[in-house]
Formats: sequence, structure tokens, C-alpha cells
Amino acid sequence: MRFSDFTPFDIWLLLQGLGVSLGLFLSTSLIGLLIGTSWAVCRFYRVPVLTPVITFIAELLKNSPVLVQLFLVFFGLPGLLHIRITPTTAAMITLSANSAAFVYVIAVSAIESIGRDQIEAARVFGLTRWQVLRHVVAPQAMAFAIGPLTALLVNQLQVTSLISVIGVVDLTKIGNILNLRTLKPFIVWTVVGLLYYVCAKLLAWLGARFENRLRAHAAWRGL
Amino acid sequence: MLKVDNVKKAFGPVTVLDGVNLTIKPGEVVSILGSSGSGKSTLIRCINGLERLNGGRITVDDFDVGKPKELSEARKRSATVFQLFNLYPHMTVLGNVTLAPIEVLKKPRAEADATARALLQSVGLGDRADAYPAQLSGGQRQRVGICRALAMQPRYLLLDEVTSALDPEMTAEVLAILAKLAAEGTTMLFVTHEIEFARQISNRIVFLDKGKLLVDLPTAEFFAAEGGMANPRIAQFLSKMRKD
Amino acid sequence: MRFDLSILLPHLGFLAQGALLTAEACALALIGSVIMGAFVAIARTSSSALLRRISFVYVDIFRNVPFIVQLFFFYYGLPEIGIYIDAFTTGVVALSIAGGAYASDVIRAGILAIDPGIIEAAEVSGLSRRVTFTKIVLPIALRTSVRPLGSVLINMILTSSILSTITLNELTGSAQIVVSQTYRPFEVYVVLLVVYALLTYLVSLGIALLHRRLNRDMMEAVA
Repeated sequence: MRFSDFTPFDIWLLLQGLGVSLGLFLSTSLIGLLIGTSWAVCRFYRVPVLTPVITFIAELLKNSPVLVQLFLVFFGLPGLLHIRITPTTAAMITLSANSAAFVYVIAVSAIESIGRDQIEAARVFGLTRWQVLRHVVAPQAMAFAIGPLTALLVNQLQVTSLISVIGVVDLTKIGNILNLRTLKPFIVWTVVGLLYYVCAKLLAWLGARFENRLRAHAAWRGL
Repeated sequence: MLKVDNVKKAFGPVTVLDGVNLTIKPGEVVSILGSSGSGKSTLIRCINGLERLNGGRITVDDFDVGKPKELSEARKRSATVFQLFNLYPHMTVLGNVTLAPIEVLKKPRAEADATARALLQSVGLGDRADAYPAQLSGGQRQRVGICRALAMQPRYLLLDEVTSALDPEMTAEVLAILAKLAAEGTTMLFVTHEIEFARQISNRIVFLDKGKLLVDLPTAEFFAAEGGMANPRIAQFLSKMRKD
Repeated sequence: MRFDLSILLPHLGFLAQGALLTAEACALALIGSVIMGAFVAIARTSSSALLRRISFVYVDIFRNVPFIVQLFFFYYGLPEIGIYIDAFTTGVVALSIAGGAYASDVIRAGILAIDPGIIEAAEVSGLSRRVTFTKIVLPIALRTSVRPLGSVLINMILTSSILSTITLNELTGSAQIVVSQTYRPFEVYVVLLVVYALLTYLVSLGIALLHRRLNRDMMEAVA
């Protein structure tokens, strides 16, 4: 191991790490959104056996550390099922499930915020359950949920940093590598922190802009 | 002596007090009457320093409330009773009454407690000293508010529409206490809508209209046809209030 | 596929020690967070624009940078400037600073929710700013903040698992050691997951009780 100063190549390393972090964040968030909302729809339709099971799993995922979930998937599953699993795959599975659990809760509260009376009115007019979902519930629920969802996504972005512990070469892992090599922790971790910070703020800003657009749609335009 | 000297106060573009002059000598009971928005409460809030003046001066025993260093001395000489009671919800009745005497007047706890209990007894709340404000009725809370103010042994008692948030029955119990205080010689300045009450216990009545002090007369003269009633604004106001 | 929980039995004592360490670290960090949070909340509601700015920046940074990055910053960085503290203390400090950022938001909301009339009554009776804060503002704000502060504590318990990455043998760290001795990662991590979930559940129950007790006197009596 050579102790050396920073080189311009380090910037490329950091960007690569950032790319891995963002890539995993975006894909797991998307999957989490899909799974989480489908869980919430399940609950909306009050599917008999699935709903309590989903609620139990979601509670478990929400109330346990993500690091432990990562260990369970990366170290535990291979032992149990006699399979091989890469760090990235383990990260994808864990983070998607974890995000899904939180999305589920937000989606449920967003759907419940729409008064039953609206849904009843729509049903009385002859709309099918699917049409009600699509035209009445979904648009309003989305506008309601954007705020909490943005906050959740900002949080999940931070959570991706934990995948470095199981060996994924993300931004934090690059930070570890640079730290070990240059022995300049203040600079390394400040830069890494700054990169995460900028991404988080960008995400929050995008979320706020999207929320304004959604709410403009839902605003009463008058007769 | 409490002196209000050509006081001006504006909230943004709206002038609420426009050159008000008022002097209160120890022992006097003065009522401020006027319709809503005339600036009555603002005047009290200027005297106890909650609002900053835009012009003029207020001195409490020669301490200028506009000067930060003199404000705390001025505040020690006056005490305020609020329309919405403003009791500390997390403290017992006794705690409410003794907090300022202990922290500001530096009285020892035993002495503050004794004074507080005596005051509470005199307003009929002697047995509720350990209750919390949430457990009391509106009238009881206001009585605690009065005790809290009196515990500071103020030279001037400021009362800002203290019965406006109470129903008639509770209003009567609070007014009875105020009448007793007035009879005992407490210097009081109060803003009120209770015209009859003001008539009964005040030495002087001051009428504010749109930030201007229209009249400042001894009570009897205020209600006399040639005195206060000669002013059309006042006559109009009194007739409206009497009708309700 | 084997699932045999009994192999964990001989290691329960060791795991319990780890749990105790987690509890200690979180208890200390909770106190640290509340103290830190109170100061920052007061700064954020102060009349000094400079104080408001600085405290806002602090909260913004520590809420948008991953905890593990903050932890590494302190753990690797502090020795560089000559501060040598053990992993436990570093962990508690890092948790307190991060927790303080969240706690300050909670306490600030509690402060802002206080009826301004009460503050006015305190002001005109001559109470100094210091006394008004310590005897009126903070006691009321903290009572109403119990529930959201409970969420901060629960979050802290989950985040404390990350302390295992700086060689601290708290619950997760101890579990990792047990895995290396039993070669049964799945069982160990499943149990760990459930233990954390149970822990947070118990804490949330405790918080609900505490909230009821503290606010009992302030709740309006129903006629």
C-alpha cells in the first residue's frame, strides 16, 4: 500500500462511486415505488390473506436497521438457500424491499386521505373499482404523497451508503479506499459528504418542483 | 405616576394610536372605553412594553419604557391581567402565582408561597392551589391571573378586557374582585366593555376613538348630558352598548 | 435448507451484552441529542439572523449527509487533530450530533406551537430571557415534543447498528461475531431483525405512556 497524495484520477473514482450510488438509488427507488404502491392497492381492495402479511412484513422492514437487512440478504440467504449472491444483487433486493415498506405506509395514508364519500359517489355513478382508482384516487393521492415521498427518497439516498459495508463499490466505499490511501480523512470525508449533500438537495428541489406542478393541476381553476 | 405622553403607534400603514395623552396618579381607577379597533388594548400593550412606540413617551414612575435599560424597572412597577388569561399550563396555580415573585423579586420560596396562598384565599381559590389551569373554569383562571398580577405587588394594575372571554356568571365573580381591589385603593387602568361596571368603580373615564383620545373626564361628568354625552361619538357608542 | 435457532442459545449472553451496549449508547446519545437539539432550536427561533443562519446550516448538513459518512469523518478525522477517543465515545458523539439535528426540528416545532400570550405574560412580569426559556418555553415545548422525540430515539436505535462498522461491539457487532463462530448467518440475522423490531416496539409503547403522563395535567378536563 502506497501512501500518496490526491491525483486527478481520484475525481474520476469519486464520480464512478457516485454513479454506482445513484444507479442503485434510482433503480431500487423505482422498484420500491412499484412494489409499495401495489401493496397499498392490495390494502385498498382489502385482499384477504395478503393484506395482514404485507402489513407485518412492512412493519418488520421499517422497524429494523437497514444494515442488518443487508447482512441477512447478503450473508444469510446464500447459507440458507445454497446460492451465490453478489453484493450488488443483495443491495438491490434489500434496498428495494426497504423502500417498498416506507412507500407502502405513505401510499396508504395518501389513499386514506381521500374521503370515502368521494369514492362512494364515484361508485354510485357506475365507475368500476379500477376506474375509481385511476381517475379519483390516484391523482389526488399522488399530490398528497409527493411531500412525504420526497423526504423518503432523500433519506433512502443516504441509506445507500450502507451498501459499502457489504462490499459494493459505491461513493462511500471509494471514500474508504481514498482514506486508506491518502490518510487525509478530513478532506476525503468532507468531499464525499458534500457530494451526497448536493445530490440530496437536488433531489429535494426536484421533488418540490414536481409537487408544484402536480398541485397546480389539482388546484381549483374556477368556473 | 404613570404618564402617557403624546404616544403614536402604527402597525404598518395603519395608525392605531395618534397622539394619546394620559396621566394616572397612584390610587386612581381609570377606565378606557371605546369601540373595537380604537387602540385601547394597544395602549395597554405599549405601557407594559409589549409594543414599541413610534412616537411619544411612556413613563412609569419616571422610568421610560422606551429605553431598554429602564424597561425592566418600569415592568416591576406594573402588572398585567390578560383577556385570555395566559396562565402557564404546565405549572400549578400556586406555581403560576409564585414564579415571578421568586425569579424577579427574588423572594424566598416560603414567603412567596405564603403571599400566594393568601391572595388565592382572598379570591376564593384557596383550596385550588395545587390544581392545574386546564382543570379550572374560565372565571377561576382569570382569578388566578389577577392573583398572579397582585403577587408582584405592583403600583399600577393594568387590565386588558379581562372579562371579555367570560360568560355572564364568571364575569360577575371577577368584577366583584376588581371592585374590592378598587375600594382598597389599588391603582388600576382598565380597558373594558362593561360600561356599568366602569361607571361604578372608576374615578375617571377615558374614551378612545380611532386612536385619538376624545375625552378624559371624571366619571360623573362623562355620563352627564353636558359632559361626555355632548360628544356625538360618545353618545352613539353608549347607546349602542346599552342596547345590547 | 436448515433453520435451527437452538444454535444461538449458548451465545445469548454475549448478544445480551451487545444489546446493553446499544442501550447505553442510545441513552447517552438521546440526552446529547435533546440538549443539542434544545440549543439549536433556541438558535433557530432567536431574533439574531446570524444564529438562525448558522443553526439552519448545521441542521441542513447533518440531515443530508449519510450517517456512516459523518461517523467515518469523526472516527478517522479526530485522531488527525490529536483527539484520541474510543469507539464508544466517538459513536455517542456522532449519534448526538446527528440526532441533535432531527431533535432540533422537533423542539423548534414545539416552541413555535406555544401560545404567544403565555410568553407575553412571562415577559411583562419581568422574567429574563433565560428564565423564560428554562422555566416556561422549554418545559412546555418538551412536553408536547415527547412523541416526535420518541421517533428520533427509535431512529437512533436503528442507526446505532452502524456503529458496528467502527469496531464497536454493540448488538449488531456482537451478532457479527456470533456469526463468525456459528457459521449460521441466516438464523443470527433473522433473530437480530426481530430483536430490533421488538426493541423499537417497546420504546414506542414507553413513549406513548410517557406522553400521557407528562401531558396529563395540561389536557383539558372534559366537562
